[in-house]
Amino acid sequence: MSELRHRLAEHWHHWRTVHINWRQLGRILLPMLILGGLLVYAAWPWIPGVREPAVRTVVLYGFSIIGEMMNDAVFPAFQALWEERTGEQVEFVSAFSASGTVTNQMILGVPAQVAILSLELDALRLVEAGVLPAPTWRDLPHGGVVNRTPFIILVRPGNPKAILDFGDLARRGVGVVHPDPLTSGGAQWAVLAEYHSVRMLGGTEAEAFDQLIGIWQNVVAQAASARAVRTQFESGFGDVLITYEQEVLSDRWRGRLSGEIVYPQSTIFSEHIVVVLNRNILPEDRELVDAFVTFLWSETAQRLYVDYGFRSVDEVLNAANPDFGMIPYAFTVDDLGGWEKAKPRIVDGIWRDQVLPSLGLEAAP
Amino acid sequence: MSIILTDLTARYGADTVVNCVSLEIADGELFVLLGGSGSGKSTILRMIAGLMPLAAGRVEIDGRDVTNLPPQQRDTGFVFQNYSVFQHMTVAQNVEFGLRIRRVASSDRRRRSTELLDQVGLGGLGARFPDQLSGGQLQRVALARALAYEPTVLLLDEPFSALDVKIRAQLRQSLKEIQRQLGVTTILVTHDQEEAFELADRIAVIERGFLVEVDTPAALYHKPRTEFAATFVGGGNVLVGRMEGGHMRLGSVTLPLPPDAPPHEEDDSVRLLFRPETVYADAKLPSQQQGIHVLGEGSVCDEIFSGSQQRLRLEMRGFEGVRSLAPPPPYGRRIFYIDAVRISDPAAGPVGVELGQRVWVGLSRYHVLDPTGLKVLIACAETPAGQAAAAFGGLVARAAAGPTTLLAVAEPERMTAARDHLEGLRRRWPGGPSLRLTSKVRLGVAATEVLTEAQEGDYELVVLGRQREGLGAVAQQILQRTETPVLLVQETPSQIARILVCTAAGEPGKSDVRFGGRIARRTGAAVKVLHIAHPDAASWQHRRAEQHMAAAQAVLDGLGVEAETQIEEQRTPELVPAIVAEAQAGDYDLLVIGAPTWRHPARLRWTDFATQILRSTARPVLIVPMAT
Amino acid sequence: MNPRPKAVLVPPLLLVLTLLPLLLMPLGAIFVFAGRAGLPGLIATLSQPDAQFALRFSLLIAFGTAVVNGILGTFAAYVLSKYRFRGREALNIVVNLPVAIPTVVVGTSLLLLWGPIGLLGQLLDPLGIQPMFAPAGVLLAHLFVTFPYMLGAVKPVLDELEMTYEEAAYTIGASRWQTFRHIILPALRGGMLSGLLMTFAHSLGEFGATVMVSGNLRLRTQTAPLFIFAQFEAGNIEAANAVAAVLALISFAIFMLLQWATQRRSGRVS
Repeated sequence: MSELRHRLAEHWHHWRTVHINWRQLGRILLPMLILGGLLVYAAWPWIPGVREPAVRTVVLYGFSIIGEMMNDAVFPAFQALWEERTGEQVEFVSAFSASGTVTNQMILGVPAQVAILSLELDALRLVEAGVLPAPTWRDLPHGGVVNRTPFIILVRPGNPKAILDFGDLARRGVGVVHPDPLTSGGAQWAVLAEYHSVRMLGGTEAEAFDQLIGIWQNVVAQAASARAVRTQFESGFGDVLITYEQEVLSDRWRGRLSGEIVYPQSTIFSEHIVVVLNRNILPEDRELVDAFVTFLWSETAQRLYVDYGFRSVDEVLNAANPDFGMIPYAFTVDDLGGWEKAKPRIVDGIWRDQVLPSLGLEAAP
Repeated sequence: MSIILTDLTARYGADTVVNCVSLEIADGELFVLLGGSGSGKSTILRMIAGLMPLAAGRVEIDGRDVTNLPPQQRDTGFVFQNYSVFQHMTVAQNVEFGLRIRRVASSDRRRRSTELLDQVGLGGLGARFPDQLSGGQLQRVALARALAYEPTVLLLDEPFSALDVKIRAQLRQSLKEIQRQLGVTTILVTHDQEEAFELADRIAVIERGFLVEVDTPAALYHKPRTEFAATFVGGGNVLVGRMEGGHMRLGSVTLPLPPDAPPHEEDDSVRLLFRPETVYADAKLPSQQQGIHVLGEGSVCDEIFSGSQQRLRLEMRGFEGVRSLAPPPPYGRRIFYIDAVRISDPAAGPVGVELGQRVWVGLSRYHVLDPTGLKVLIACAETPAGQAAAAFGGLVARAAAGPTTLLAVAEPERMTAARDHLEGLRRRWPGGPSLRLTSKVRLGVAATEVLTEAQEGDYELVVLGRQREGLGAVAQQILQRTETPVLLVQETPSQIARILVCTAAGEPGKSDVRFGGRIARRTGAAVKVLHIAHPDAASWQHRRAEQHMAAAQAVLDGLGVEAETQIEEQRTPELVPAIVAEAQAGDYDLLVIGAPTWRHPARLRWTDFATQILRSTARPVLIVPMAT
Repeated sequence: MNPRPKAVLVPPLLLVLTLLPLLLMPLGAIFVFAGRAGLPGLIATLSQPDAQFALRFSLLIAFGTAVVNGILGTFAAYVLSKYRFRGREALNIVVNLPVAIPTVVVGTSLLLLWGPIGLLGQLLDPLGIQPMFAPAGVLLAHLFVTFPYMLGAVKPVLDELEMTYEEAAYTIGASRWQTFRHIILPALRGGMLSGLLMTFAHSLGEFGATVMVSGNLRLRTQTAPLFIFAQFEAGNIEAANAVAAVLALISFAIFMLLQWATQRRSGRVS
């Protein structure tokens, strides 16, 4: 900067003694103007008097796919409600990434007040790490479950492989794209669906095991996260993808869906858990945060979920969305005794210890 | 005085690069520091400017002690060898920089820079950038920039070295003119003696961080005091002869000592400088009227025609007892060279001289350099005896005021340690390090290497440490092979106040008296000459002894030494106890004894005698072999 | 004197062909995907408050990082180049280490140092000072990660700059500061500008360390790269690419501007 000043001073000197050199001056002034402009643009919201700072804030962390819905619909709805009720402005400070990442961030100490996780296992990790004193979310309505979405089968347009249910995925010649259950929460839901759907339809444990192993023999591509697997599928890998209904619906509404949904006879609902981190809530914010958490189960909020492709915990509201398909024998992890039982029995005990070795693969310790 | 430097000393790490340099430079003087590369001349300049910290000493500029001032406050103008013209400023901005720093109004700055640029011949180029200028122009920008704020002193570090010859001559001239016009005190550093001669009011010759000589160019050329200045400045012939009967003896030729020559003592070596243009070289013997001192016959071995001059190199052979220092004599041949210059004269035709022609060689003028003093070799072993030799040798060498060499002998792997040892000694040398103090490490076995060095180095005194046992093989070998006096040291007195010379009557006794006298004169010591007479001596022997003592007294008186003589009757059967008794009684710091020539029949008896003396006293003993 | 005109074009052509799959095509792809939703879509995406915030925040952090590291890096280069002291060589290596450490590790280390459960953070937390998950933390991470760039651009120039230029200024009467300002700084201009640009650009694109220390808070600490990643995770590839394209354009524009501003004065032929 001092160099610029120095050169300007020199130009001033030239101006007085000789003449002003506009070209030279332009060389200095134009970049300064442009850089200055950029700086003003960047700093605009922070310039005093430009924007009224909000009076109250709520800090919310959530898993990726609810981000858009929260920002565009749920937050504004609550802000309107709160302003109407108290006259106060509320600002939402939020961060959305993969459920596991959010959990890790909270363990490292991010100042989240409310978090929405896609997997109860992540919430249990918070208890283990001491972030939560106990599974406090179970005291919330519906055991903390705020909304859900079923796992469905996505096939190529026109369903060329004639896939009608999970059973068909075990057929020879079908290429399945699957996230890795060792790293992906979504993949663990999928394993439960692939196994337990057989039992829901009256099959034996052996039949369930056969279906699981049959599907896994057909896995042609695997990636660390549900998102990465989806990108693989979209770029042409495999014939089938097992994924969240909400994701597919939101793609469809955006006109980006390149495939068809196949609703299985029986599948699992992924349930999304609300966690409240009391240690990050100041006493004066208690009321506001509680009001927001209560709002998440209000009919207004639940309807918004339905609008955005999530299924409400209130079955009645789900009728409002005509795009939701019928799943006659849907189940939840509670039907398996909760994650505490389902994870060691099915994901670890069956999938990791029996299916993986039979495929010639060994889980990393 | 505009600039006064006192005991300026600088170090880079362990190396002392400038050693106690003191100079006074007058107002308006153009002073040149002349020296080879690495001589420390630029360092002196940087110390004046404040760019190099002083290890010791004082810098005064214009009556102001600036020793501890930063360069900014010294008010010097510095022109660097690479000019260091600021690349991002125009020529005018460069010149005005000093004024801008001093907050001079811009119109005044402009006026001043225009004026200066005109003066250095760069008028109208003020708006240019440095990369549009030639080397010579850049040099002038640097000069104008250094002059702009009217500094007290202008310092120029090799300002012409990066320029080609033609521009160099031109710029020298203009520098001289500008300096005269402005009257600014100027110090210029150069390695080019021609440049120094052309520019300087006075020249200081610098070598290995020491100030060798300061004088006007003419005096430095015609009447230098030191060999270094004589050979560094201009071409020159330097021959070494000996004083004999108040005249200089060069082999078979005797030359008178010029009236302005520095005083020399009998038997001292004399160094004679004569410049090529004073050499007579012709087939004809010069006539008496020409006033030429003929040296003898030589032959032309090289001839170079350089336009205005004809340069000759003459080969001189068969001169016994003459040594040449310059031009360097060829290795391993008993000849030396003399360089001569004749003005070329087309009218004279090819009369002159040709290669191989025999010519008479003579001198029309010559100059005598300052006497060197004794050339001393000190063997500095890291033993107690070696330490003692170094300490006492230091006292003697300082008194002898001659070039001194410190020698260490080491195995290859101890090389560095030996060098450090010598460097430490050099640092702590009495009177401080000087140009005439050199250190040398030889690889190998001490006994043989000290002898070799003593033989090769043409020393006049060798100082060795000793154990009590006796003479030792090294000392014996040196006495025998080189006939150089040897000083054996075991314990070191703190001074040399009293010297005991034990002399035999007759010819051999003359050397020890003379040498002891020389040392006494330089140390201011009192001398006692002792002769022990045999009780059974014949009367002619008594007479001879008395005559000898009278002669010794005369010699010592002539040297201005406080002296007494004594003849003592030998009462014991042995000679030695009498001498030792006297030495202890008189508390002498140094014993001098003579030694016979090695072919003399008395040699074996003498060795026995010397060994006994050395065994019975721990004092330093100087053994002087009889002059041949 | 000159090689034949056709031959002259061969090496540049070769270079462009080599860079096409490596550099140019991926860069082009960003713009292609960003524009897939058409210009109105692009504008809509960019005018979202999140996107706006992320861009602004990234720019501010990049400006801040460039300013702080510009000063710090120049100072470090000056000291490392002009002063001789014990441990200088070691320090020289250490200050260049941040480029060799994965940025995620940098972020984690910062968290473990300054985070609420970190070494120093634990002490600061009760005082209500929490640099992590806040803009200060992001700045801290960016300063760390981009430190070597300024140094790397300035130090070689300083090393080349002969001591005599400074000494000349001293003898002329300029103080250390005046010498630095009028002599050294102008000589460093080229190096400093390229160092600033490198720092700015790296800060603008920094992801690994930022994602760890920022808490990724939307409208609080979410930088443009984090926004891009969040959009990608939520399936909004277009939005991600749109912001990426803007980042690339800003970097390009600033680079061009500086290039133009620092060109040697026109009409100078030596």
